[in-house]
Amino acid sequence: MDPRMCRKISSSESLPEDENVEYEVSNIMAPQESEENFLIEGSPEPNSVTWLDDDQIDELDLNLDQTNLLFHRVDSADIIYRSKKKKCKMVGKYVMGDVLGEGSYGKVKEMLDSESLCRRAVKILKKRKLRRIPNGEQNVQREIQLLRILRHKNVIELVDVMYNDEKQKMYLVMEFCVGVLQDMLEASPGKKFPQKQAHNYFTQLLDGLEYLHGQGVVHKDIKPGNLLLTLDQTLKITDFGVAEALDMFSPEDTCYTGQGSPAFQPPEIANGAEQFSGTKVDIWSSGVTLYNMTTGRYPYEGDNVYRLLEAIGRGEPAPPPPALGPALGALLTHMLKRDPALRPSVHQIKRHAWVQAQPPLEPGERFIQPRSRRSDELHTSTVIPYLVERHYASAQEYFTERDLRNDMGEGGSRTMSTAELSDGESTQQKRRWHSSCGRLPSCRLT
Amino acid sequence: MLNPDINDYQLTSIITECCGGIAVVYSALYKPTDRNVALKRYFVDKSKEKATLIQQDIMIRKELQHPNILPYLTSFVHGKELYVVSPLMTFGSCRDILDRYFHEGLPELACALILRDVLLALQYLHRQLYVHRSVRASHVLIGADGLARLSGLRSAASMMSRGRRRTLHLLPPPDHDNANLMWLSPELLEQNLKGYDERSDIYSLGVVCCELANGAVPFAEVPTTLMLTEKVRGSRPQLLDCSTFPEPSLDDEMKSMYNTDSGVGDTAEGEARLRRVYAARKLSDSFHHLSDMALQRDPEKRPSATQLLNHAFFRQVRRSDCLPGLIGRVKPIKPDPNDMSALLLQQKMSDMEIEKIEDWDF
Repeated sequence: MDPRMCRKISSSESLPEDENVEYEVSNIMAPQESEENFLIEGSPEPNSVTWLDDDQIDELDLNLDQTNLLFHRVDSADIIYRSKKKKCKMVGKYVMGDVLGEGSYGKVKEMLDSESLCRRAVKILKKRKLRRIPNGEQNVQREIQLLRILRHKNVIELVDVMYNDEKQKMYLVMEFCVGVLQDMLEASPGKKFPQKQAHNYFTQLLDGLEYLHGQGVVHKDIKPGNLLLTLDQTLKITDFGVAEALDMFSPEDTCYTGQGSPAFQPPEIANGAEQFSGTKVDIWSSGVTLYNMTTGRYPYEGDNVYRLLEAIGRGEPAPPPPALGPALGALLTHMLKRDPALRPSVHQIKRHAWVQAQPPLEPGERFIQPRSRRSDELHTSTVIPYLVERHYASAQEYFTERDLRNDMGEGGSRTMSTAELSDGESTQQKRRWHSSCGRLPSCRLT
Repeated sequence: MLNPDINDYQLTSIITECCGGIAVVYSALYKPTDRNVALKRYFVDKSKEKATLIQQDIMIRKELQHPNILPYLTSFVHGKELYVVSPLMTFGSCRDILDRYFHEGLPELACALILRDVLLALQYLHRQLYVHRSVRASHVLIGADGLARLSGLRSAASMMSRGRRRTLHLLPPPDHDNANLMWLSPELLEQNLKGYDERSDIYSLGVVCCELANGAVPFAEVPTTLMLTEKVRGSRPQLLDCSTFPEPSLDDEMKSMYNTDSGVGDTAEGEARLRRVYAARKLSDSFHHLSDMALQRDPEKRPSATQLLNHAFFRQVRRSDCLPGLIGRVKPIKPDPNDMSALLLQQKMSDMEIEKIEDWDF
């Protein structure tokens, strides 16, 4: 993180080195030597203030360290912070929010459609970064082409594509999702879902796949990391970077290239087959995905990519644990047949006993909630603070350490929801909300 | 059941164009029984997604039966267009009434009669676990009997999913100009995991309170994103009278929020006149209370439709009160022989009949 985001000023008081801290020191008033420090709160006289830039503050810190026998006493009202501006940025008709995730190609941010007020996610692609990735630009082009035609409840919708030639950036505007199955798995006990929950996601994955295969599209990179959830728990298949549209006039579904993620690759690709059935690749990967969601493990594991691919290419998969029950075990074994021709089609899977009957929630099992690393539990819009900055620019920009402590004293450490703040209608509370944008509780004060 | 055949309907006038130009509403005479009906003609070709919404509108209306919900009579396809037949609502929508005859808002008693009917419709809808999601004056239609009927069910959503009640999370399907957003509740607009339920309609009803009483739609003059932040921060629109709209000094915020968006507000003179009207009148405390209750930021605190029906505000309604008498200046929709476009269309349709080929011989 940028060290300037928050800086330690006096040795006794400090703000945590936390990413969420949104304050930067704007100035320090020259510490007074005397014990009776009777500075009046409010606007200090100009000549009593020494304005320091960041370098000078660095020096100041250094000085303090060198002469660490002498502590300057700084009154909490003398430490003035400036709220880090939530500068509202627009791209086209969209208002930018916070970062949702980061990939090798660039960032994914939240956005708000300023006309429809619909929450969106945007994949920001930098040409410079894209060039460094093998087939990067090509994959993006293919993804855009495919997503433009595809429209299904369980396939991510590409809403808009924008270019900024000056900045060499491309913006892919997508449906807003609250979480990735992969992240949820990693955060859950045993890195797996209850069968009931996995069943819900798997049946939605099947619906999406059925549509894709019906449209002659092979995804080739099905894995929990490419399955997203919307606010209403609808599963969305995403990332069509290595997907392929099959030749509509060919009776076969032959593919020639595979670039998916190693752990989810079928034996035929691991063995470097020159051509293979495309749809059966998706069946295998979906099988590994289901295996992973229900056991927390993979049918093949390896210390590194080469070992892993060798294991997939040569060996038999680890049999599904008996604890899964016979129905799920049989389904997984069927989907993970080494011979692609023996793997079931989506239609066959849909008729399977485990898919047909919804498994119950076992005692002790709990649903795993979508949690992203950055947002709050309710996944409240991160765009609103930027809008507040835009529409109420007169918001208090400077506030002191004392204000901060008083606020903390009142609000305690609990998160104040916007609803709570707005129902108590004092203007003071509103003012504080301006300056803190709900971020205050993340500050830990000694 | 009416016949689904265009030849049984004689178009009499154009009522309005709606849904962003994809639909036109005509008044028509159903020839077999001489009944007045409204014919809504959709140009379905223009958008495939809209077609599913129209379908949903029809499906929901078929399922629901309530005196305060616009009934569905029949529908049919003729040429490239889809026709949906409903009973004729002689006095049109409340929005039309406001725009044409009551710029400064309807009399309080008229508001009470209309709001009571809308609440009865909502009470019924909510019991069927539907959230209407576009409660607004343009979706409240007034019939010759003076009853208000709720329409616009294409944005309604069921809270039932796989036999269980659930909360909703997504915005309703967008309308052509996103105007619908002005009536939507803060929790709906927030689109977070907490979601929203039928109490979101109660908020919209609160906005309709202001719309009916003030004539203007709250938030109509502010940017959409500012409307969002205002709602999320809990600022509530108000009924405008001498208690909320003091004559001499208006702060800018009030000014911008309550300018009328059509007609009168365009001229400074009209605006000044409106302000004088607001400042001179006094709406009852119970009306203010009702709208305040409905517009609360926290959905948990909002009363249900049933609770609102028992609100003191509705005690002013007497059995003898009837809406047409209170809104006497509103002219009912009548066949207009001079309506050239309707006649032209009639002509066009008969032309099509001539082209109609009865017997295909393959």
